Amino acid sequence: MITTKILNLLFILFFSCQCHSARTVTCDRKMAHQTIRQNLKQVKPILSLDKEEARKRVLSLYKAWYRQLPYIVKQYDIPKTAEQLKQKLREEFTKHQDIKDVRVIDMLVIKGQMELKETVNIWKQKGHLMSYFKDTWEPKPTDFLSKFLAGKE
Amino acid sequence: MLRTTLGKVLTGGSLSPKRVTAVVRAASSQTGKKPEQIEVFIDDIPVKVDPGTTVLQAAAMIGIEIPRFCYHERLAVAGNCRMCLVEVEKSPKPVAACAMPVMKGWRIKTDSEMTKKAREGIMEFLLINHPLDCPICDQGGECDLQDQSMAFGSDRSRFVDIDHTGKRAVEDKDLGPLIKTVMTRCIHCTRCIRFASEVAGVDDLGTTGRGNDMQIGTYVEKMFLSELSGNVIDLCPVGALTSKPYSFTARPWEIRKIDSIDVLDAVGSNIVVSSRTGEVMRIMPRVNEEINEEWIADKSRFSYDGLKRQRLITPMLRDNTGELKPVDWEAALLTVAKQIRNAGSSIGAVAGGFADAEVLVAVKDLLNYLGSEALCTEHTFPLDGSGTDLRSSYLLNNGIAGAEEADFVLLVGTNPRFEAPLLNSRLRKAYVHNELDVALIGPKVDLRYQYQHLGDSPSILQQLANGQHEVNKKLKAAKKPLIIVGSEVLARPDGSAILAAAQKLSASTSPEEQNWRVLNVLHKVASQVAALDIGYTPGVDRIRELNPKVLLLLGADDGAIEKSDLPNDSFIIYLGHHGDHGASIADAILPGVAYTEKQATYVNTEGRAQQTLVAVSPPGRARDDWKIIRALSELLGAKLPYDNLNEIRDRLEEVAPHLTKYGEAETANYFKQAQELSKGIKTQLDNSPFDVKLKELSDYFMTDSISRASPTMAKCVQAVLKQKQSKF
Repeated sequence: MITTKILNLLFILFFSCQCHSARTVTCDRKMAHQTIRQNLKQVKPILSLDKEEARKRVLSLYKAWYRQLPYIVKQYDIPKTAEQLKQKLREEFTKHQDIKDVRVIDMLVIKGQMELKETVNIWKQKGHLMSYFKDTWEPKPTDFLSKFLAGKE
Repeated sequence: MLRTTLGKVLTGGSLSPKRVTAVVRAASSQTGKKPEQIEVFIDDIPVKVDPGTTVLQAAAMIGIEIPRFCYHERLAVAGNCRMCLVEVEKSPKPVAACAMPVMKGWRIKTDSEMTKKAREGIMEFLLINHPLDCPICDQGGECDLQDQSMAFGSDRSRFVDIDHTGKRAVEDKDLGPLIKTVMTRCIHCTRCIRFASEVAGVDDLGTTGRGNDMQIGTYVEKMFLSELSGNVIDLCPVGALTSKPYSFTARPWEIRKIDSIDVLDAVGSNIVVSSRTGEVMRIMPRVNEEINEEWIADKSRFSYDGLKRQRLITPMLRDNTGELKPVDWEAALLTVAKQIRNAGSSIGAVAGGFADAEVLVAVKDLLNYLGSEALCTEHTFPLDGSGTDLRSSYLLNNGIAGAEEADFVLLVGTNPRFEAPLLNSRLRKAYVHNELDVALIGPKVDLRYQYQHLGDSPSILQQLANGQHEVNKKLKAAKKPLIIVGSEVLARPDGSAILAAAQKLSASTSPEEQNWRVLNVLHKVASQVAALDIGYTPGVDRIRELNPKVLLLLGADDGAIEKSDLPNDSFIIYLGHHGDHGASIADAILPGVAYTEKQATYVNTEGRAQQTLVAVSPPGRARDDWKIIRALSELLGAKLPYDNLNEIRDRLEEVAPHLTKYGEAETANYFKQAQELSKGIKTQLDNSPFDVKLKELSDYFMTDSISRASPTMAKCVQAVLKQKQSKF
């Protein structure tokens, strides 16, 4: 996985080739960039060029969902309140709070947008929404004693 | 059945093919010269066979199966069903293949027009009087008549009785609580009669009347008093004899069949467990020439309904009021672990008759880890002399099949008919076909063959051992002598002296073959040999001496140890599958599984390791026995190093490699050394006469926790006792 640090480096590289003002960099740095270019694969950004941009996209997606929630409750006739949906929305977003890769964030944002679109256009059905509210899943026993006590062995 | 002498057999008469081959084998071993083979042609395929071979056997050699009803390879030839008629070239009439010995150069046609026509005719005659009740017949789906009428019968009917004047009808007979009879279905193959008289040795069945009036039955109303009676159900080619407990419960195409091992005696008969909807529906024999041929005893076959009753299905703990209360596994194991931890090394274990090798090893490993060596079996065996150190002292060394070849057998304090019915059927086979002489020291019991009763006093054994008895001459002269000692007399206080006398006596014989083993011990329970192999101490004396604070009973239900034998504050744990004697005295009950519910190793009395397979799932919260011990060990902080069946089997192999060589009998040796060691024994034979527990048929049916819980077995006991009152 390519971290954002390297991504940033590559952006610098990208801009240095594009902008004339960047021509002022010394020959040494140019050389360094060339070696990095040799060692790293160029990655294409998906939507956002940097972290900040990705963050903005996430926030706007969150807002869009948030504003839609009361309508979802009305339209879908699910046994949930808007408050519960807000909780679930927050839960779904915080599930990915540790992701740092801009490309991954972008991809998740795209998926979230798709989900939203499907929901707004009533392409989904009740069950699809209710599947967000799964029962608590308990891990299967793995060692002998817990398997024995659970009757799995 | 009358005994056929060798002379009679040799001069001809109607021969059983089995006997013919036996005679041929005997003759060839005596003279060392094989009679010249003759060539016949079956469907133009040349076959070389020994003289005396029947057409049916010759055809079987090249894989052509001729249809039959009355012929059965383990019974004498009757030749009365005529289904096996085949054409022989240049013979005007078709011949009965099962009874006709082949002649040189015969050309037999098993698929010609004449043969087909003969079969069609026979089928038509059989079906004239056979009821059309297949839909309500228990044999439906596994019926020879059904199958063969489809394969060989005519494709159109000549049935013209449109007024339904009726087919021949026969009154049903009452053969007891095991065998259901619908005699109208009978096709008079007489297999049941021949089985009863030849194998079971009960001459009660026979025919009355002739022609259309012929009937099979007991003439007077009488129960089929045999411990092997269930086998006639398998023998009957139609639905005339079916199983009473199984009747109307399942169809053969909807049951799951699992090969397994019987554990109700020490023979280890091979069985097939049929199950449906998680219940055992019936148990049938599986062919194993080394052990049970194709028979099984009634207790093995019919006591399966005991597996559904009196079962322990949840862990239980005795509360303050002295009552056993169901608890969950966690609570039970924690309590038991606490008690064991408090007891330290003051812990003992007693293994009952159904304990498998896996749990025996697990318990031994655990107790050894805790610092205890008090591992006992419920059934006693002498420990003096070589004790159980040399395997040859406690095995049926010559094997079960080997008993068939013997020419002189001395039974000491045993009743093989009820302790090991299939060994007894072997002895009877040898008696009928092989001129076997049997002598018995012990109570006079009915073995269904004649024997010389020497008395029941131990002094007779002493005389024999000293060479002062008249039977000594016979023993010396015998080429293949056997001495079979019952495990029950060896459990007496003077057991070691009895074993020593038997060892001395067997050393005085001179068998012809070098690896013929004279000394044999017959055990009564399935677990004993494995327990002794693993290193358990026979008998509970050590427990009595140790007075352990915690006692673990592994299905020990015979009452060898009572609560009064232990200190007041002792804690008894029962690990087993039935609520019987052991569970009633226990403070904690850990429910284990029965033999139909586990994959487990058992070693039979001849030292043959075999495994049972899982046919149905355990009831309630019952768990595999060894896994309970494994879980307990973890709570005790003495974690046993095996988590699954393969790992514990590796451990079994480490302890005794033969325990995982399934199907092979591991033989033992060092008879001489054992006898030398037995010379130092100080115990003297006492004067009390030899006794056995199982004397009569009514004693046979209920002997262990499974058969005691079985209603069918209870009905058998009642029926036998009622039959005793009858004047027939």
